[in-house]
Amino acid sequence: MEGVYRFADLNVAIRTRCRRLHDMCRDYRASGLPDIVISLTGADVEREREKAAVTARREGRFAAEYPYDYLETLAAYRALAEELPGHDGFLIHGSAVAADGEGYVFIAPSGTGKSTHARLWLEMLGSRAVMINDDKPLLRFMPSGPRVYGTPWDGKEHLSANMSAPLKAVCVLTRAKENTIRPLSPHEALAYLLRQIYRPAGKEAAEQTLTLIDRLDAGLYLLGCNMEPEAARVAYEGMKG
Amino acid sequence: MKLKSDFIVREVNGETVLVPIGDTGFSGMVRGNKTLGAILQALKADVTEDEIVSSLLERFDAPEEKVRADVQKALSALRKIGALRD
Repeated sequence: MEGVYRFADLNVAIRTRCRRLHDMCRDYRASGLPDIVISLTGADVEREREKAAVTARREGRFAAEYPYDYLETLAAYRALAEELPGHDGFLIHGSAVAADGEGYVFIAPSGTGKSTHARLWLEMLGSRAVMINDDKPLLRFMPSGPRVYGTPWDGKEHLSANMSAPLKAVCVLTRAKENTIRPLSPHEALAYLLRQIYRPAGKEAAEQTLTLIDRLDAGLYLLGCNMEPEAARVAYEGMKG
Repeated sequence: MKLKSDFIVREVNGETVLVPIGDTGFSGMVRGNKTLGAILQALKADVTEDEIVSSLLERFDAPEEKVRADVQKALSALRKIGALRD
Protein backbone atom coordinates (compact mmCIF):
# COMPACT_ATOMS: atom_id res chain seq x y z
CA MET A 1 0.00 0.00 0.00
CA GLU A 2 1.09 3.50 -0.65
CA GLY A 3 0.11 6.86 0.79
CA VAL A 4 1.34 10.44 1.03
CA TYR A 5 1.25 12.13 4.44
CA ARG A 6 2.29 15.51 5.75
CA PHE A 7 4.65 15.36 8.73
CA ALA A 8 6.63 18.36 9.98
CA ASP A 9 5.58 20.41 6.92
CA LEU A 10 7.02 17.77 4.57
CA ASN A 11 5.18 15.49 2.16
CA VAL A 12 6.22 11.93 2.93
CA ALA A 13 5.31 9.08 0.59
CA ILE A 14 5.30 5.72 2.38
CA ARG A 15 5.02 2.29 0.75
CA THR A 16 4.30 -0.67 3.03
CA ARG A 17 3.12 -4.27 2.82
CA CYS A 18 0.40 -3.84 5.47
CA ARG A 19 -2.49 -1.49 6.01
CA ARG A 20 -1.87 -0.62 9.67
CA LEU A 21 0.45 2.34 9.07
CA HIS A 22 -1.99 3.92 6.63
CA ASP A 23 -4.83 3.65 9.15
CA MET A 24 -2.62 5.12 11.85
CA CYS A 25 -1.63 8.09 9.64
CA ARG A 26 -5.05 8.80 8.18
CA ASP A 27 -5.39 12.25 9.82
CA TYR A 28 -2.13 13.29 8.13
CA ARG A 29 -3.10 12.38 4.55
CA ALA A 30 -1.84 14.80 1.93
CA SER A 31 -1.42 15.12 -1.80
CA GLY A 32 1.30 16.48 -4.00
CA LEU A 33 4.88 15.64 -4.78
CA PRO A 34 6.75 13.95 -1.93
CA ASP A 35 9.76 15.58 -0.24
CA ILE A 36 10.71 12.19 1.22
CA VAL A 37 10.02 8.71 -0.16
CA ILE A 38 10.02 5.73 2.20
CA SER A 39 9.72 2.26 0.69
CA LEU A 40 9.83 -0.43 3.37
CA THR A 41 11.20 -3.90 2.81
CA GLY A 42 11.04 -7.09 4.85
CA ALA A 43 14.64 -6.42 5.92
CA ASP A 44 13.62 -3.06 7.49
CA VAL A 45 10.94 -4.84 9.48
CA GLU A 46 13.30 -7.64 10.57
CA ARG A 47 15.74 -5.01 11.82
CA GLU A 48 12.97 -3.51 13.99
CA ARG A 49 12.23 -6.97 15.39
CA GLU A 50 15.89 -7.38 16.38
CA LYS A 51 16.10 -3.87 17.85
CA ALA A 52 12.95 -4.43 19.92
CA ALA A 53 14.45 -7.65 21.30
CA VAL A 54 17.77 -5.94 22.13
CA THR A 55 15.98 -3.06 23.88
CA ALA A 56 13.82 -5.46 25.88
CA ARG A 57 16.91 -7.40 27.00
CA ARG A 58 18.71 -4.20 27.95
CA GLU A 59 15.76 -3.04 30.02
CA GLY A 60 15.35 -6.47 31.57
CA ARG A 61 11.90 -6.95 30.05
CA PHE A 62 10.34 -9.96 28.41
CA ALA A 63 10.79 -9.61 24.63
CA ALA A 64 7.28 -9.64 23.21
CA GLU A 65 6.66 -11.04 19.74
CA TYR A 66 5.38 -8.05 17.77
CA PRO A 67 3.25 -8.42 14.66
CA TYR A 68 4.71 -7.53 11.27
CA ASP A 69 2.35 -4.61 10.67
CA TYR A 70 3.25 -2.98 14.00
CA LEU A 71 6.98 -3.37 13.34
CA GLU A 72 6.37 -1.82 9.94
CA THR A 73 5.06 1.36 11.61
CA LEU A 74 8.26 1.52 13.70
CA ALA A 75 10.42 0.98 10.63
CA ALA A 76 8.63 3.82 8.83
CA TYR A 77 9.28 6.28 11.65
CA ARG A 78 12.91 5.23 11.83
CA ALA A 79 13.26 5.77 8.08
CA LEU A 80 11.70 9.22 8.47
CA ALA A 81 14.04 10.05 11.36
CA GLU A 82 17.00 9.08 9.15
CA GLU A 83 15.82 11.49 6.42
CA LEU A 84 14.81 14.43 8.62
CA PRO A 85 18.26 15.94 9.28
CA GLY A 86 18.51 16.51 5.51
CA HIS A 87 15.46 18.76 5.95
CA ASP A 88 16.81 20.51 9.06
CA GLY A 89 14.89 18.41 11.53
CA PHE A 90 15.18 15.58 14.03
CA LEU A 91 13.11 13.27 16.19
CA ILE A 92 13.23 13.89 19.92
CA HIS A 93 12.11 11.42 22.55
CA GLY A 94 9.93 13.40 24.92
CA SER A 95 6.52 14.79 25.72
CA ALA A 96 5.55 17.93 23.79
CA VAL A 97 2.80 20.26 24.98
CA ALA A 98 1.52 23.47 23.41
CA ALA A 99 0.56 26.06 26.02
CA ASP A 100 -0.94 29.34 24.80
CA GLY A 101 0.33 28.42 21.33
CA GLU A 102 3.95 27.87 22.39
CA GLY A 103 5.71 24.49 22.37
CA TYR A 104 7.37 22.95 25.44
CA VAL A 105 9.21 19.62 25.21
CA PHE A 106 9.90 17.58 28.36
CA ILE A 107 12.76 15.13 28.12
CA ALA A 108 14.02 12.48 30.56
CA PRO A 109 14.89 8.80 30.57
CA SER A 110 11.86 6.51 30.19
CA GLY A 111 9.96 6.06 33.43
CA THR A 112 10.88 9.45 34.95
CA GLY A 113 7.37 10.83 34.53
CA LYS A 114 7.38 13.08 31.43
CA SER A 115 3.88 12.04 30.41
CA THR A 116 2.55 12.42 33.93
CA HIS A 117 4.03 15.90 34.17
CA ALA A 118 2.67 16.87 30.74
CA ARG A 119 -0.77 15.73 31.90
CA LEU A 120 -0.49 18.05 34.91
CA TRP A 121 -0.03 20.93 32.44
CA LEU A 122 -3.16 19.92 30.55
CA GLU A 123 -5.15 19.75 33.80
CA MET A 124 -3.83 23.13 34.98
CA LEU A 125 -4.26 25.02 31.71
CA GLY A 126 -7.44 23.39 30.44
CA SER A 127 -8.34 24.55 26.94
CA ARG A 128 -5.18 26.68 26.75
CA ALA A 129 -3.04 23.56 26.42
CA VAL A 130 -2.85 20.67 23.92
CA MET A 131 -0.70 17.56 23.86
CA ILE A 132 1.28 17.82 20.61
CA ASN A 133 2.87 14.37 20.99
CA ASP A 134 3.39 12.39 24.18
CA ASP A 135 6.37 10.31 23.06
CA LYS A 136 8.29 11.15 19.89
CA PRO A 137 7.55 14.60 18.45
CA LEU A 138 9.51 15.98 15.51
CA LEU A 139 11.44 19.21 15.57
CA ARG A 140 12.27 21.29 12.52
CA PHE A 141 14.33 24.41 12.08
CA MET A 142 12.19 26.72 9.99
CA PRO A 143 13.12 30.24 8.80
CA SER A 144 11.02 31.60 11.68
CA GLY A 145 12.82 29.37 14.24
CA PRO A 146 12.47 25.84 15.61
CA ARG A 147 8.98 24.27 15.57
CA VAL A 148 7.74 21.15 17.29
CA TYR A 149 5.31 18.89 15.39
CA GLY A 150 2.79 16.24 16.30
CA THR A 151 2.76 12.84 14.56
CA PRO A 152 0.72 9.67 15.11
CA TRP A 153 3.73 7.86 16.64
CA ASP A 154 2.55 9.02 20.01
CA GLY A 155 3.33 6.58 22.82
CA LYS A 156 1.40 4.10 24.90
CA GLU A 157 -1.59 6.37 25.55
CA HIS A 158 -1.82 7.56 21.94
CA LEU A 159 -1.87 11.24 22.77
CA SER A 160 -1.06 13.52 19.87
CA ALA A 161 -2.53 16.16 17.58
CA ASN A 162 -1.88 17.04 13.96
CA MET A 163 -0.46 20.46 14.83
CA SER A 164 2.74 22.35 15.45
CA ALA A 165 3.97 25.20 17.65
CA PRO A 166 7.06 27.38 17.80
CA LEU A 167 9.46 25.79 20.28
CA LYS A 168 9.61 27.86 23.43
CA ALA A 169 11.66 25.60 25.69
CA VAL A 170 13.14 22.16 26.24
CA CYS A 171 12.86 21.04 29.86
CA VAL A 172 14.88 18.22 31.39
CA LEU A 173 12.79 16.48 34.01
CA THR A 174 14.16 14.90 37.18
CA ARG A 175 12.28 13.53 40.18
CA ALA A 176 12.60 15.57 43.37
CA LYS A 177 10.76 16.08 46.66
CA GLU A 178 10.34 19.82 46.12
CA ASN A 179 9.50 21.53 42.83
CA THR A 180 12.31 23.74 41.50
CA ILE A 181 13.34 24.98 38.08
CA ARG A 182 16.50 26.63 36.78
CA PRO A 183 17.94 27.48 33.36
CA LEU A 184 20.48 25.06 31.89
CA SER A 185 23.49 26.35 29.97
CA PRO A 186 23.82 24.93 26.44
CA HIS A 187 26.92 23.13 27.75
CA GLU A 188 24.93 21.40 30.52
CA ALA A 189 21.97 20.69 28.26
CA LEU A 190 24.02 18.93 25.56
CA ALA A 191 24.46 15.63 27.42
CA TYR A 192 20.69 15.40 28.05
CA LEU A 193 19.81 16.38 24.47
CA LEU A 194 22.18 13.85 22.92
CA ARG A 195 20.54 11.06 24.89
CA GLN A 196 17.00 11.92 23.77
CA ILE A 197 17.49 13.10 20.19
CA TYR A 198 17.48 10.37 17.54
CA ARG A 199 21.03 9.72 16.34
CA PRO A 200 20.85 8.56 12.74
CA ALA A 201 22.83 5.56 11.52
CA GLY A 202 23.81 7.54 8.43
CA LYS A 203 26.99 9.52 8.98
CA GLU A 204 25.92 12.70 7.17
CA ALA A 205 22.56 12.75 8.91
CA ALA A 206 24.26 12.18 12.29
CA GLU A 207 26.63 15.09 11.65
CA GLN A 208 23.77 17.32 10.54
CA THR A 209 21.91 16.43 13.76
CA LEU A 210 24.80 17.79 15.82
CA THR A 211 24.91 20.92 13.66
CA LEU A 212 21.20 21.44 14.35
CA ILE A 213 21.69 20.97 18.11
CA ASP A 214 24.37 23.66 17.89
CA ARG A 215 21.77 25.95 16.29
CA LEU A 216 19.01 25.14 18.80
CA ASP A 217 17.66 28.48 19.91
CA ALA A 218 15.15 27.80 22.70
CA GLY A 219 14.95 28.02 26.46
CA LEU A 220 16.74 25.16 28.23
CA TYR A 221 15.72 24.23 31.77
CA LEU A 222 16.25 21.66 34.48
CA LEU A 223 13.11 20.86 36.44
CA GLY A 224 13.18 18.97 39.71
CA CYS A 225 9.61 17.88 40.32
CA ASN A 226 7.22 15.66 42.18
CA MET A 227 3.92 14.48 40.70
CA GLU A 228 1.71 17.02 42.48
CA PRO A 229 -0.23 19.69 40.53
CA GLU A 230 2.13 22.34 41.94
CA ALA A 231 4.92 20.88 39.74
CA ALA A 232 3.14 22.13 36.60
CA ARG A 233 2.70 25.61 38.07
CA VAL A 234 6.39 25.88 39.02
CA ALA A 235 7.48 24.65 35.58
CA TYR A 236 5.09 26.87 33.66
CA GLU A 237 5.86 30.01 35.69
CA GLY A 238 9.57 29.31 35.36
CA MET A 239 9.53 28.95 31.58
CA LYS A 240 6.80 31.13 30.12
CA GLY A 241 8.94 34.28 30.58
CA MET B 1 45.74 3.74 16.20
CA LYS B 2 42.84 5.40 14.47
CA LEU B 3 39.37 6.74 15.17
CA LYS B 4 36.66 4.21 14.26
CA SER B 5 34.50 5.28 11.36
CA ASP B 6 31.24 4.92 13.28
CA PHE B 7 32.02 7.93 15.45
CA ILE B 8 31.56 11.54 14.41
CA VAL B 9 33.19 14.74 15.57
CA ARG B 10 31.51 18.14 15.53
CA GLU B 11 31.78 21.50 17.25
CA VAL B 12 28.69 22.17 19.33
CA ASN B 13 28.31 25.29 21.49
CA GLY B 14 31.99 26.05 20.89
CA GLU B 15 33.26 22.72 22.20
CA THR B 16 34.48 19.60 20.43
CA VAL B 17 32.09 16.66 20.74
CA LEU B 18 32.57 13.04 19.67
CA VAL B 19 29.57 10.70 19.62
CA PRO B 20 28.84 7.28 18.13
CA ILE B 21 26.44 7.24 15.20
CA GLY B 22 23.31 5.11 15.32
CA ASP B 23 20.95 4.49 18.20
CA THR B 24 22.07 1.09 19.45
CA GLY B 25 22.51 2.11 23.06
CA PHE B 26 24.30 5.21 24.22
CA SER B 27 27.92 4.13 24.55
CA GLY B 28 28.98 7.56 25.71
CA MET B 29 30.61 10.63 24.31
CA VAL B 30 33.80 12.58 24.70
CA ARG B 31 33.76 16.36 24.81
CA GLY B 32 36.45 18.97 25.29
CA ASN B 33 38.31 22.01 24.01
CA LYS B 34 40.33 22.82 20.88
CA THR B 35 43.14 20.48 22.01
CA LEU B 36 40.72 17.55 21.91
CA GLY B 37 39.62 18.78 18.48
CA ALA B 38 43.22 18.67 17.26
CA ILE B 39 43.78 15.20 18.75
CA LEU B 40 40.66 13.86 17.01
CA GLN B 41 41.74 15.51 13.77
CA ALA B 42 45.09 13.71 14.01
CA LEU B 43 43.30 10.39 14.72
CA LYS B 44 41.54 10.49 11.35
CA ALA B 45 44.76 8.95 10.05
CA ASP B 46 46.52 5.91 11.53
CA VAL B 47 48.93 7.53 14.02
CA THR B 48 51.00 6.76 17.12
CA GLU B 49 50.81 8.66 20.40
CA ASP B 50 54.19 10.27 19.61
CA GLU B 51 52.95 11.46 16.23
CA ILE B 52 49.88 13.05 17.81
CA VAL B 53 52.05 14.79 20.41
CA SER B 54 54.41 16.21 17.77
CA SER B 55 51.54 17.39 15.56
CA LEU B 56 50.08 19.22 18.56
CA LEU B 57 53.43 20.76 19.50
CA GLU B 58 53.57 22.25 15.99
CA ARG B 59 50.19 23.90 16.49
CA PHE B 60 50.14 24.87 20.16
CA ASP B 61 52.70 26.72 22.22
CA ALA B 62 52.80 24.43 25.27
CA PRO B 63 55.37 22.30 27.11
CA GLU B 64 55.69 18.74 25.81
CA GLU B 65 54.82 17.09 29.17
CA LYS B 66 51.54 19.04 29.30
CA VAL B 67 50.66 18.11 25.72
CA ARG B 68 51.54 14.44 26.27
CA ALA B 69 49.40 14.34 29.42
CA ASP B 70 46.45 15.83 27.46
CA VAL B 71 46.91 13.31 24.65
CA GLN B 72 47.08 10.38 27.07
CA LYS B 73 43.99 11.57 28.87
CA ALA B 74 42.06 11.93 25.61
CA LEU B 75 43.22 8.53 24.32
CA SER B 76 42.16 6.85 27.52
CA ALA B 77 38.70 8.48 27.34
CA LEU B 78 38.34 7.41 23.70
CA ARG B 79 39.43 3.83 24.48
CA LYS B 80 36.92 3.65 27.29
CA ILE B 81 33.99 4.19 24.91
CA GLY B 82 35.48 1.98 22.21
CA ALA B 83 36.19 4.78 19.74
CA LEU B 84 39.73 3.69 18.85
CA ARG B 85 41.00 0.97 16.56
CA ASP B 86 44.50 -0.12 17.58
